[in-house]
Amino acid sequence: MASTSTSTLSRKLILKSSDGEKFEVDENVAMQSQTIKHMIEDLDDINSPIPVSIVTGTILSKVIEYCKKHATEDSDSDEQLKQWDKEYANNMDLNTLYYLLLAANYMEIKGLLELITQCVADMIKGKSPEEIRAHFNIKNDFTPQEEANIRNENPWAFEN
Amino acid sequence: MEEERELKMVEGGEIFYGLDFYVLPEGCIAAVVSYTSPRDACRFSSISRIFKSASDSDAVWENFLPSDYRLILSRSDGALSLSKKQLFMHLADNPLLIDDGALSFSIEKSTGKKSYIISAKNLSIVWADTPRYWTWHSDPKSRFSEVAELVTVCWLEIKGKIETSLLSPNTDYVAYLVFRMERDAYGFYSPAEVTLLTAEGKPVTEKFYWESQERYQIVPRRVGIFNQFRAPMSRTQSTTQGEVDQAKLPKQRSDGWHEIKIGEFSTGRDDNEEVEMEVLDVKGGNWKGGLVVEGIEIRPKIAME
Repeated sequence: MASTSTSTLSRKLILKSSDGEKFEVDENVAMQSQTIKHMIEDLDDINSPIPVSIVTGTILSKVIEYCKKHATEDSDSDEQLKQWDKEYANNMDLNTLYYLLLAANYMEIKGLLELITQCVADMIKGKSPEEIRAHFNIKNDFTPQEEANIRNENPWAFEN
Repeated sequence: MEEERELKMVEGGEIFYGLDFYVLPEGCIAAVVSYTSPRDACRFSSISRIFKSASDSDAVWENFLPSDYRLILSRSDGALSLSKKQLFMHLADNPLLIDDGALSFSIEKSTGKKSYIISAKNLSIVWADTPRYWTWHSDPKSRFSEVAELVTVCWLEIKGKIETSLLSPNTDYVAYLVFRMERDAYGFYSPAEVTLLTAEGKPVTEKFYWESQERYQIVPRRVGIFNQFRAPMSRTQSTTQGEVDQAKLPKQRSDGWHEIKIGEFSTGRDDNEEVEMEVLDVKGGNWKGGLVVEGIEIRPKIAME
């Protein structure tokens, strides 16, 4: 078994997306994901690709972009990093944000998860249930009676 | 349930197609909802079952409750065992008496910001301990054990203080005197003054009227002071004379009391300063009586108001 205690910054890992795309990254970049950190601990051969099973190559490349930036944070001030985060999230369309949210949750990358969660929250703030269903393609699985009951619990929240 | 469904899809090596919140774990949805507002969360619970479950969760409402709500609850008598959403709604709808009834605490429903009423007992009222001038009694409409009733004074002075550390941070607040005029109230003709003083700011003093002057001139025998305010006030309503600004007149509250605005201030991130509020009616020099004081309310300024 490879000893993880002797890890050096220069070690490289290979991440493999759900659609087979491979990414070579520095260990300290990949280790921002708690999930990958745990996987490495159980891994016999550090050189074999690490499968990130639910994340596609397109999304994984975005995740790695975030992790790279945050692995070398001493080169930037907090303020610059915040600005970078903001631009990073603003450049995503809804579809990408959604898959990034899933990926950050699955890969357990706390900072990215918070960033995307906040970003999605900002998009849905103040929207009506109907708008959100349409926006995110969510099926209303309540009966009309159930839905009316929920609305009647807090009618003030539905007034605009 | 949902997590199981997601796991199966993952094990099957399936790739998600189409945009569908349904495959997001409930915890993820709850995290998103907790970054919105109590109003949003109540609305989102009608989107779908998984949204309801996430939007009603303790994880979300714990976040909307004031960060020191446990401390506040420990300062009251009762014990409440409710879910976090029930607790939130309870505190929004039922003011909680804390510190042996010195303060009444509640939260503003759409934002979760903290709000207090300082009871009359905890205000400094000049002459209040002299029964010839002020009396103390219980009142069916009061949330406190006692209210202060003005028998008669020339010098009417009411002061209250609050420390901003009790309030929600980074919030605009408005202070109000909460009171009632008895049917036989008299002597409140001249404009009175309200003053708000923060630690660094200059005191801000404004005039107000206990009731419309026009009403004084036309109605010689006053039957039910403030009757005119019992009808819901609309923004477009104006006094016939047009001289008295509506903002300088008392307003009817939903709890049966009236209120007059004392002033506004803002809280910072985590600084603590004392804010002093004052109501002064001394200029006329005449005797007056029949005012019942419930307390001074400090509540968040809501943009929609």
